[in-house]
Amino acid sequence: MRPVLMVAGDLDELLELRAFIDLVGASDAKALIPENLLNDGRLSTLGLSRVYSIEALDEAPAEALSTTVAELVRRDGPGIVVAPSKKIFREVFARAAQNLSAPCVTDCVGISLVDDRLVVDRPFLGGGYIERLAVRRLPVLLTVQMQGRRPSARKEEGFEAVRLGRLSVEEGTLRRVSVERSARGGSELGKARVVVSVGRGFKRREDLKLAEELAQLLEAELACSRPIASDLGWMPEEKHVGLSGKWISPQLYIALGISGQVQHMVGVRNSRVIVAVNNDASAPIHKEADYSIPLDLYKFVPALIQVLRERRSRAG
Amino acid sequence: MTVIHVFVKQVPDISTLEYDQSSLAPRLEKATQRLGEIDLVALEAAVRIKESLGGEVVVLSAGSGVSELVLREALAMGADKCFYVSDERLSRADSWVTANVLSRLSRRVGSPDLLLCGEASSDEGNYQLGPRLSEALAIPCVTHAVKVELDGNVARVRRALEDRVETLESALPLIVTASLELATPRLPSLLMIRAASRKPLTRIELSELGLSEELVKPLLERVSARILKTTRRNIVLQGEPRECAEKLVESLASEGVIRA
Ligand SMILES: Cc1cc2nc3c(=O)[nH]c(=O)nc-3n(C[C@H](O)[C@H](O)[C@H](O)COP(=O)(O)OP(=O)(O)OC[C@H]3O[C@@H](n4cnc5c(N)ncnc54)[C@H](O)[C@@H]3O)c2cc1C
Ligand SMILES: Nc1ncnc2c1ncn2[C@@H]1O[C@H](COP(=O)(O)O)[C@@H](O)[C@H]1O
Repeated sequence: MRPVLMVAGDLDELLELRAFIDLVGASDAKALIPENLLNDGRLSTLGLSRVYSIEALDEAPAEALSTTVAELVRRDGPGIVVAPSKKIFREVFARAAQNLSAPCVTDCVGISLVDDRLVVDRPFLGGGYIERLAVRRLPVLLTVQMQGRRPSARKEEGFEAVRLGRLSVEEGTLRRVSVERSARGGSELGKARVVVSVGRGFKRREDLKLAEELAQLLEAELACSRPIASDLGWMPEEKHVGLSGKWISPQLYIALGISGQVQHMVGVRNSRVIVAVNNDASAPIHKEADYSIPLDLYKFVPALIQVLRERRSRAG
Repeated sequence: MTVIHVFVKQVPDISTLEYDQSSLAPRLEKATQRLGEIDLVALEAAVRIKESLGGEVVVLSAGSGVSELVLREALAMGADKCFYVSDERLSRADSWVTANVLSRLSRRVGSPDLLLCGEASSDEGNYQLGPRLSEALAIPCVTHAVKVELDGNVARVRRALEDRVETLESALPLIVTASLELATPRLPSLLMIRAASRKPLTRIELSELGLSEELVKPLLERVSARILKTTRRNIVLQGEPRECAEKLVESLASEGVIRA
């Protein structure tokens, strides 16, 4: 296998990329990371030969970052370049790929060698299907859907650190006028055992308290459908699950007032048990649930909270 | 006059798509064709800009077996004209080929002030065309737009990333990729549908674009596609809320997914 370049914004992402690449093996692995990650001791357990760092990598404009990625690819000649499937990295990779006359595949969920050919799997047709693409030319740039993979342990090794400083933002025509940080909090979602998820069945933002209360009782993380985050802004963008959001696989997924379109379901398909609460008995989510409750969530969720409370107090 | 190029793709209608029971592959050859959902969002945004500032909306499309009937929907929504390439070779196009073809097509039919496409196509969801066009045409690009405003020669775009919302400004020309939330596509009225039948729709041959072999040769090949099926138990809990809640808690506790 040819060498690999991993581009990541934090250690979790780097670990996941390493685990993904381990599925096909790499003769040599290098990484491009934010400067402040360089001191993390765990870097030396990832089998890296060289680590490039950039100050404030996650703030770098896509044009500048893609130029750097393309330069590193030309310099080191990796066969595979990987980054997490986030908006900024998909853009950076599509740009770098065009610049390098190279293929780019976004949202990869699998990678393997079939008869010596590199193939990748990714969602297709809204997420209801998986397509397998054969890569006809290297290098290939892949963005990887974060699903909580972890690499097996390696022995500690030193690596060469190359500091690239701050990317000079060319005085192009594009100017960033303002940035508003949104609340974070998607990172725990991948690891959660129980997830309570809310959809447009909730009529007002205040009503999300119901879901919060349930989540607290179940020691669950809260998630949502895309419109709750993107249209309504009731929850952070990072909390939405589905095709364009997080892919999670908890032991228990409780969907409250979610219709269950394919673009949503692809993100929760690997959950062990799915519970659907939706007062429309014909909503598609009922076909994709283990336990289906065709009731008004405003009546059912308070009852569920009550039952859980009573059990807890009986158990002492 | 503001000229806006909008890229719309003919895609299979996912909601009625069937699959082969034995291979689990989608029956794409039998699928009903329509215009991409987000592409229509991009088109709606373009038409609104035209309605407030004047100008022209030009629709561009490439593919194989492209149907003029499907493209007329874009004209009915308010686009002024359409240019498209339909060629069997493009049935195997990847993002590299599509970007090469569409960048050449856009250049050939004019010099747009604004180029709009979806953030991700409804069938493939590559998230690539906008950024690749940006490299190919050397025009800046803002992805994932939730708001676009033009003020003279300057565009102001709000975009939503996972952890932040940014506002960017750029002189025109500019490429913008639309997020689903950018606009709500209108339903064309009968009047608009009738008007669309008189609007120009021009087919351009792939060979007319003067692309080298290298630029139309895909770098990726789809070797298979299959439907994702998960079997669930579909246990329906009936009764009063309290009763259902008790049954559910009982079941989940005995399965060990919640603390008993
Ligand atoms: C390219 C693309 C990508 C997308 N990516 C994603 C994604 O990543 N994640 C995602 O979630 N979506 C995504 N979507 C959107 C997706 O198609 C759906 O529109 C979305 O999931 C619907 O959200 P919802 O179920 O909350 O809302 P709705 O579809 O409006 O459903 C609300 C449901 O609540 C029920 N309800 C109403 N009142 C009550 C009540 N009192 N009690 C109980 N139930 C009630 C209704 O019966 C209804 O079924 C994407 C779409 C596209 C085109
Ligand atoms: N063949 C095509 N013809 C016209 N527009 C396209 C084509 N492919 C992609 N697009 C546009 O580019 C957007 C992103 O597509 P993609 O990069 O494939 O996810 C789509 O939403 C369309 O607006």
